Amino acid sequence: MTVHKLIAAPVALQPGGYVKVAYEGRDKAPTTPSASLDLKPVGKGYRIGLQWECPNPIKATGSNTDIWVDACAVLTPAAAGAQWITMGSETLPVEGALWRADREDLHAILAQGLGSVHRQPAPEGWKASSSWDNGVWSVTFELDAWSALTAHKQIALAVWRGDVQDRGGLKSVSEGWISTEP
Amino acid sequence: MTSKRPSTEVDRQIAMVLDLNKCLNCQTCTVSCKKLWNQDEGTDYTYWNNVETLPGTGYPKHWPEIGGRDDKGGVKQGKVPNVDSEYGRAWNFNHDTVYQGKGGKKSLKVWLRPNGKQRPKWGANWDEDHGEGSYPEDNHYFYLPRLCNHCTHPACLDACPRGSIYKRPEDGIVLVDQDRCHGYRFCVEACPYKKVYYDTQRQVAAKCIFCFPRVEEGEAPACARQCPGRLRFVGFVDDKEGPIWKLVHKWKVAIPLHPEYGLSPNVFYVPPMSPPKLDAQGRPTGEPRISPAYLESLFGKDVHRVLAIVEAERAKKKQGKPSELMDLLIAYDWNENFRIPQQGSAEKDPLDDRA
Repeated sequence: MTVHKLIAAPVALQPGGYVKVAYEGRDKAPTTPSASLDLKPVGKGYRIGLQWECPNPIKATGSNTDIWVDACAVLTPAAAGAQWITMGSETLPVEGALWRADREDLHAILAQGLGSVHRQPAPEGWKASSSWDNGVWSVTFELDAWSALTAHKQIALAVWRGDVQDRGGLKSVSEGWISTEP
Repeated sequence: MTSKRPSTEVDRQIAMVLDLNKCLNCQTCTVSCKKLWNQDEGTDYTYWNNVETLPGTGYPKHWPEIGGRDDKGGVKQGKVPNVDSEYGRAWNFNHDTVYQGKGGKKSLKVWLRPNGKQRPKWGANWDEDHGEGSYPEDNHYFYLPRLCNHCTHPACLDACPRGSIYKRPEDGIVLVDQDRCHGYRFCVEACPYKKVYYDTQRQVAAKCIFCFPRVEEGEAPACARQCPGRLRFVGFVDDKEGPIWKLVHKWKVAIPLHPEYGLSPNVFYVPPMSPPKLDAQGRPTGEPRISPAYLESLFGKDVHRVLAIVEAERAKKKQGKPSELMDLLIAYDWNENFRIPQQGSAEKDPLDDRA
């Protein structure tokens, strides 16, 4: 496990007129300051472990209107040169896996810029397991193959804390791409 | 999949006018909307159309205080209302006991009431008919039916980072693309009228669709079509033969709620007149029961000019003189409240099919 510092995703980049004004200054500090990453190649795929501190886990929203769940995602360029902080761009997309505390199954995600994330059910060989214990979330992604990660050897992290209303672009992210090469 | 922002430009804008002098608070509009669109679990707490008693707390509770616009039209952080303390969770009733005699209750005097040990503490329309003032001197209230304003500059559209909310070019109706929505609820937060809701089951935003499938067929939205008080008018803003243009632009007596938010709503209101207060001897003082300052806080400074016109025209009518405005607001012929061409048949006179 290596500990990686997380930063707040810049609010000023958010699409539309509301979020960047209503949440101005929220990005001075990340809601989750760090996350531990343990990435191991397994066959043609990967076993990716993520851990982060979360004092008040939100595992489901139930029939409530003003509760958001905890979540995390791992991201890799789908094209060389894609930026993690903008969720890629129209010509340089990014892709990844999204875990939410209220779902057993993973989402595969593909994005071509902020606000463009397309979620779809993950491939059959993509699984996740999770546990929350003593103030820490542990999520393990078991991905039988991820050709984009194999090709680009870079990964980025994102964590959403439901109890502080993280969602969408209100998130903590790694400072940049993290190399998967030893 | 790209994040292109939806345009707010439209070819035409459909709109609604509600004459608050005629609302009975019968809630037929609320029920007709609810029955048509929102009976599912997940939206059971929502009322795309509601009628609230004013002065009062409103639905959701104190909504003007938790929206995403300030009184100069600037963005401020809003709040997503809580289902228990602000919207009011949908109640379950003891229908089985009352109507089917289940549960061993044989007494005739089993009243319909919410199930559960704890009595509800809040719900939509909780403060119905409370109002303000003291009887008989100055007690007063009026009813405010509310629905999505299908704003020209929708705060919800502006708030959605995903571009999931858009205005239809053909009629300006504001819709949520629920396939695209990820349920972040910035739209719920930002709407200062609190007319975007969260479907807790499907985990997406949901809002009034101005009954667009009906509008496409030339029919008024259910809330307007079912209104027994004939207080709702529906049509296109630019149709000079229609009621909207006449009330909003010709007579200038229909004005938006909270214009200071700067969103240019397309739901307009004819503000309520009020009877005079009484003095200690029970004589009318000439001072209106509904405070002009209160009405100004709802409809802006223009409300005083509007009320002067409506009162003057009403006086003319009472004297037996003709008044186009009063005839329009009285709605002698209910069919004329709506002028909605069937889409795809622009040449057709919408009144042709109405007997």
